[in-house]
Amino acid sequence: MKHSTIRRALLLAAAFPLLSFAADGALRIDDPYVRLVPPNAPASAAFMVISNSGSTERQLLKAQSPAAKSVELHTHINDHGVMKMRQVDRIAIKANGQTELKPGSYHIMLIDLAQALNEGDSVPLTLSFDDGSTQQISAPVRRIQAAGAPAPAMDHGAMKH
Amino acid sequence: MNRRALWILLCVGLAALLAWLSFAWQPPTGVATLHNSAQRSETPTGGDFTLYSADGPVALADYRGKVVLLYFGYTFCPDVCPTSLSVIAQALSMLTAGELERVSSFLISVDPERDTMAVLKAYAPFFHPNIVGISGSAYQVAQVARQYGARYMKQKPDSDGRYAVDHSSYTYVIGADGKLAASLPYASPPQHIVDAIRAQLGAAPAN
Repeated sequence: MKHSTIRRALLLAAAFPLLSFAADGALRIDDPYVRLVPPNAPASAAFMVISNSGSTERQLLKAQSPAAKSVELHTHINDHGVMKMRQVDRIAIKANGQTELKPGSYHIMLIDLAQALNEGDSVPLTLSFDDGSTQQISAPVRRIQAAGAPAPAMDHGAMKH
Repeated sequence: MNRRALWILLCVGLAALLAWLSFAWQPPTGVATLHNSAQRSETPTGGDFTLYSADGPVALADYRGKVVLLYFGYTFCPDVCPTSLSVIAQALSMLTAGELERVSSFLISVDPERDTMAVLKAYAPFFHPNIVGISGSAYQVAQVARQYGARYMKQKPDSDGRYAVDHSSYTYVIGADGKLAASLPYASPPQHIVDAIRAQLGAAPAN
């Protein structure tokens, strides 16, 4: 009984460096989505949560998508109520941390959309990180809702006139 | 020799100063924000204006008896404007049909160069059929922005000629008497807008 506990602990200890090695640089993308914008809007944005379970900070350096002519990393600075959108070179994801790309903050800007986005479409995105790794994700197009409010009843017929 | 020692001393001194600055110095942003917002709420008085939609002139004076929402933005805006317009749309959808009849919402484009009336007409009602896109000449828009304390600044175009416009992101609520009743900041929950609208609807004589 006692023996097996020690053995288990030893095994765990032996496995631990291996585990942490395997997890190092492991980036996970959760809840990606692209904002639904009016059909004539020239730009939209992609949002997501990037988690870094590794022990070193990672940087998102680039995003690409066939859905837009150019794709840039951006953030917003709220300067006394004035929202200043600025391009950034990189978005850092701290070791054992996560960075949320969200409205009013970091986002992947899709400029000159190839075609109008429809709710439920999937936008393919390729994310490139500073360790040379890339991730292919598919971000559904979503109508953005503020938390805790019912969805507006969209009457498409009423919008035509 | 002496000169060299002086240079070294100077470099060390500068390095120490830099180190101290990077560790100890904090820009007084909190104070500045407070000061600024306090000023904001005092100066803008709102008031009547005439701008243009694809369907003709829009004069605020014609909306007496209605609660009017104003938002300054532009259609190239990928994030902040759609977010704010979605919040306004959610607020509008939380009103009863009777309340909604007494509310008119306008997106005022701070980018009249690119946002033609036709562009605005295709853009604004997408969020909610109650929202009408309006604009005017650069001078007319600047005038209205000044009245309401909205600020914006066109940024340098990139190599493709694309540019962003920095802008304040408030939702202005104008009472049935035409007076500016509330300025709701960016990321206000829809319920705050509903409350502000209902406060004005309640104050207005039903007609």
